[in-house]
Amino acid sequence: VKFPRGRAAALIAGWMALASGGMVAFAWYGGRAGDAASAPAQWPAASHLRLDAQRPTLLMLAHPKCPCTRASLAELARLARRLDGRAALHVLFIHPDGTPTQWERSDLWSQAQAIPGVQVEADPNAEEASRFGGETSGQVLLYAPDGRLAFAGGITSSRGHEGDSPGADRIFEWVTRGATALATAPVFGCPLHDPAPREKP
Amino acid sequence: MNPADPLTPRAAALFQESVDANAARTSRVFAWLMVGQWLFGILIAALWSPYGWAGKVHSVHVHVWAALFLGAAISSLPLFLTLTRPAATPTRFVVAVAQMMWSALIIHLTGGRIEAHFHVFVSLAFLAFYRDWRVLIPATLTVVVDHLLRGIFWPESVYGVLNPEWWRFVEHAFWVVFEDVVLILACVRGVYEQRVMAMRQAEVEAKSTALEEANGQLERSREALAKLAEVGQLAASVGHELRNPLAAVRNGLAYVTKRAKDPNVNAQSLAQDPNVQKFLGLMDQELEASSKIIGDLLEFARERPLDLRPCPLTQLVDEAVSLVPPKPNVTVVNDVSDQTPIPLLDKENFRQVLINLIQNGMEAIPSGRAGTVRIRAEGGGALPWHISVADDGVGIPGDALSKIFQPLFTTKTKGTGLGLAIVQGKVKRHGGSIQVRTELGKGSTFHIELPGAAAPASSAA
Repeated sequence: VKFPRGRAAALIAGWMALASGGMVAFAWYGGRAGDAASAPAQWPAASHLRLDAQRPTLLMLAHPKCPCTRASLAELARLARRLDGRAALHVLFIHPDGTPTQWERSDLWSQAQAIPGVQVEADPNAEEASRFGGETSGQVLLYAPDGRLAFAGGITSSRGHEGDSPGADRIFEWVTRGATALATAPVFGCPLHDPAPREKP
Repeated sequence: MNPADPLTPRAAALFQESVDANAARTSRVFAWLMVGQWLFGILIAALWSPYGWAGKVHSVHVHVWAALFLGAAISSLPLFLTLTRPAATPTRFVVAVAQMMWSALIIHLTGGRIEAHFHVFVSLAFLAFYRDWRVLIPATLTVVVDHLLRGIFWPESVYGVLNPEWWRFVEHAFWVVFEDVVLILACVRGVYEQRVMAMRQAEVEAKSTALEEANGQLERSREALAKLAEVGQLAASVGHELRNPLAAVRNGLAYVTKRAKDPNVNAQSLAQDPNVQKFLGLMDQELEASSKIIGDLLEFARERPLDLRPCPLTQLVDEAVSLVPPKPNVTVVNDVSDQTPIPLLDKENFRQVLINLIQNGMEAIPSGRAGTVRIRAEGGGALPWHISVADDGVGIPGDALSKIFQPLFTTKTKGTGLGLAIVQGKVKRHGGSIQVRTELGKGSTFHIELPGAAAPASSAA
């Protein structure tokens, strides 16, 4: 097959534009953070979870089916190794009403359970998630032993992408150096709650 | 041989052939890889992240669509080019860019696993199979541009921090460039070895050609020697053959001389002497036979280069027929069509072939009955020529059949036994072959096959 030079250049340029455009769109999707948590500044008294009085308490709110949360749990495992017991770690998997029993027992549940020192629990009807203002799977909240919110955000660098992240670094710094200011980081994952029903016109 | 020397035209052609073959081979690998990566991407996305969720509501995950459509877009042009223009330079550049895009896509489809980043380095190594270091440039640029743009717009997705130092992309690119340097050295070495191989092959070919020429000369000398030996044997045999006619001539001459010297015999009575008349006729006949033997011997021994020219077969057959003494009971039919393509023949040589075969055919028909000798021809153009001379004579007995092309073999009372040997020699020199099919009492067909449009194999001899 022979192409005139100009047509070949146009073909290659068109392909470059198509493929690069797709890559940019995909990168844009990967870098689009989920809704941030509106976490209470103080540990909610109504929570049935116990705040650790000796060390900071880290809580991850997770959707048991969200593929992006696999990276969040991988990063949590890394963070747990770095923290080496200097924080109490909890992972709460939502179990929305109307889903089958043990719906939350997914491979992510097993992945979370495999992290040493992590307490994994189901969250019926996402009540605790709502109590802590969680919106997006992989959202991590760090509370100081006195109940003060220290960090709210994600610990992955983009959607479903493992690797160094500003969130994990901030948590580590907060736990090891005891910073005072509230730290945040974008969170990447699936929404924890069903989409809001559209209003009829 | 010095690899730094400029390539000879043959070595340059071999080198280019080798470069193109390697490029085509590598492109075929990438064609498979483009399809394989696409399927792998779809599989990974379908297994790893089949659905996106919002509470208990789910839909097909963006990764699946990306693997399906973005993957198809990335693989499309390189796949097309590797299948249609595998050795072309733009093909490998497009492949290089696509392969690095696949690295980025697979890294993201697998959740940015560190292990998936090896795809970048393996891809660069694969691209080095082209042995063209230039392909590493677009590949590396793709990686650098990808990191640069992500670093600007989504810094945390690449560097894990929101405000990385401006030079952080250089650090990432460094490891790619480091591998590039190693691969460039490998490519340059590979090309050098291809060049050396091409030079060696060209040298071997040149030597082989010289050897073939020397072999050809040797073969021709051997054939000439064999011919000379054959001619030597023939000369002895011919000497023997000539003894009888010469003895008859000597006897006749002795009688005529004796009568001429007789004082009682005058010229008139000598001319009217029936014995003198008989002896003179006999002498003429025997001298004619001797002349035929010597003529055939010369024809058999003669080795002159063929003078190949376009030679219409119909006319050539007509000429041959006109030169054969007719026999009243034999009809010679020229069945060669005017439409038969014109072969390249040595006219004089091939006419002799036809004369000998036609004469043989006529002599095979007994005097007591009518018979026909028929000449046919077909083929030509790209096909071989098939020329046949068929008679409906007595046929050739089985014990004689295997010897008819041997010099001096004859079943005739007045034959030299050289006619068919001459025919076979001339046909062979035209690059053809001759065969005979015979049936006792029904006749014989001599079948000549000559090469088609191509020049005969021994035409240069």
